[in-house]
Amino acid sequence: MAALPEALWGGAAQAGPGPEPAKAGPPRRRPRWRRWLYLAVVVAVYVVSWRLADVDLPRLARGLSTMFGWAAKAWPPSTRELPLILERAGETVAIAVIGTTLATVIAAAICVPAARNLTPSPWVRLPSRLLLNTLRGVDSFVFALLFVAAVGLGPFAGMLGVAFHSSGSIGKLFAETLEGLPAGPLEAAELTGASRLKTVSYALVPDAMPGLASVALYMFEFNIRSSIVLGVVGAGGIGQQLKNSIELLDFPRLLTIVLVILAMVTFVDQLSGRLRKHLA
Amino acid sequence: MTGRGGRSGVRSAPEVVLRVAGLTHSYGDRVVLDGVSFDLEAGTVVAIVGPSGAGKTTLFRCITQLITPGAGRVELSGRDLTALKGPELRRARRDVGLVFQQYNLVRRLSAVDNVLAGRLADLPTWRVLARRPGASERAAAVACLDRVGLAGHAQARADRLSGGEQQRVAIARALAQRTRVILADEPVSSLDPSAAAKVLAALRAVASDDGIAVLCSLHQVGMVAGFADRVLGLREGRIVLDMAGAEFDERRHGEVYGEWAHGAYPLP
Repeated sequence: MAALPEALWGGAAQAGPGPEPAKAGPPRRRPRWRRWLYLAVVVAVYVVSWRLADVDLPRLARGLSTMFGWAAKAWPPSTRELPLILERAGETVAIAVIGTTLATVIAAAICVPAARNLTPSPWVRLPSRLLLNTLRGVDSFVFALLFVAAVGLGPFAGMLGVAFHSSGSIGKLFAETLEGLPAGPLEAAELTGASRLKTVSYALVPDAMPGLASVALYMFEFNIRSSIVLGVVGAGGIGQQLKNSIELLDFPRLLTIVLVILAMVTFVDQLSGRLRKHLA
Repeated sequence: MTGRGGRSGVRSAPEVVLRVAGLTHSYGDRVVLDGVSFDLEAGTVVAIVGPSGAGKTTLFRCITQLITPGAGRVELSGRDLTALKGPELRRARRDVGLVFQQYNLVRRLSAVDNVLAGRLADLPTWRVLARRPGASERAAAVACLDRVGLAGHAQARADRLSGGEQQRVAIARALAQRTRVILADEPVSSLDPSAAAKVLAALRAVASDDGIAVLCSLHQVGMVAGFADRVLGLREGRIVLDMAGAEFDERRHGEVYGEWAHGAYPLP
């Protein structure tokens, strides 16, 4: 009787009367001195870091009072150059728009060979991953510096910097989105005998689209903020005006720029956030 | 085994569309399929029954070469699929349509667009990328939906349809693919009885009307008799029963499933 179900049920029955799983031993005691060692290491890391970072609280106190002085001098914000500032803000948005779009196109091309479920071969997948990680690892700031040297000062260099860095980030998130999709519909489409390009575009992309669009919008929000900083390296946009005002100690103008930046970032985040919620 | 395809000269002998011979496959040292052989003839419905873990899904995946079987042959209209690779295999696979337990429709596409997925291989690439298959293809796809009683739902998004409706869309997709064989892997096991009956009726109809050979795995004994021309019982990777569908009953069912079918042991 007992042997019969085992014979019929094959592997499933073996789990029942089979050998018991190895019993976990009593919880292993970690020696007390080990805990003190870990604590000492953590403390040492903080002490060394504190020294290396040159933390100096009195200096901060002095600096803060200088900054409050600036803040007092900044009021009221100057509106004399508002048209120019708005134009530069538009440049920053343009850098993010074109940069993110270009990045999305590059990412779309690399994400398929980088996705585990679509590219089982590690010989293709790992180099694709490496490329994405390299692009992502180099900040858009660094890319912009390189492109300023290559194509000259201005928003074009900034746009290229944004595009290259965020193509890595978007590509990685795209690949992860694709990996999270159910395999069934693609498998069903593949059994029709169609090519990879056809099956992926027809059976996978429609279900992936909301996720992919959400990633692109999220990176757009991020790129608006990084485009602002890019002006500092001469890559155009409102950041360059920000840097000029600080260097000229023109605080009313600086305040205007900061307010424009705040309005711009808030508006874009709200808009993009709403769109993403709509997609979900 | 009924009607061997090799009986030349007999015009009434049904055509063997799919011949599985000595199919064997193991996962590690666990043998899942052990010399499975049978023929599928045009226009007939064959039900395959057997407990979970008997190897039904592996059998289907080996037939379509989603898994490369360890040994044996799968002949589709006389061509051995196990000998084919790459583009040749892709082309040969077109003659096999698979209907899955989980439907596997593209959720965000409409019913008719899902049916058109069956035409992917024949459509020009630009039409696929633009998702513009053309009016005649679209009309043909709606006609396929009509065959399974869903012409009125052509524009409904797949994830808005009920389970039974989604499964019938999957059958229409196989029809659009113009397959010679439909393999249905437990197509009704997550459906209620009335939805299941409609799905099986649709499978029965495409077999009878289009001469498609249907192989369908099932759990419910009551559904076999009115549906299948023939029943195969699979247990531990071997065919242990091969008989006419009309003669299949509780007793034979119990033989295939062992004592579990009678409630002696709880099902896992």
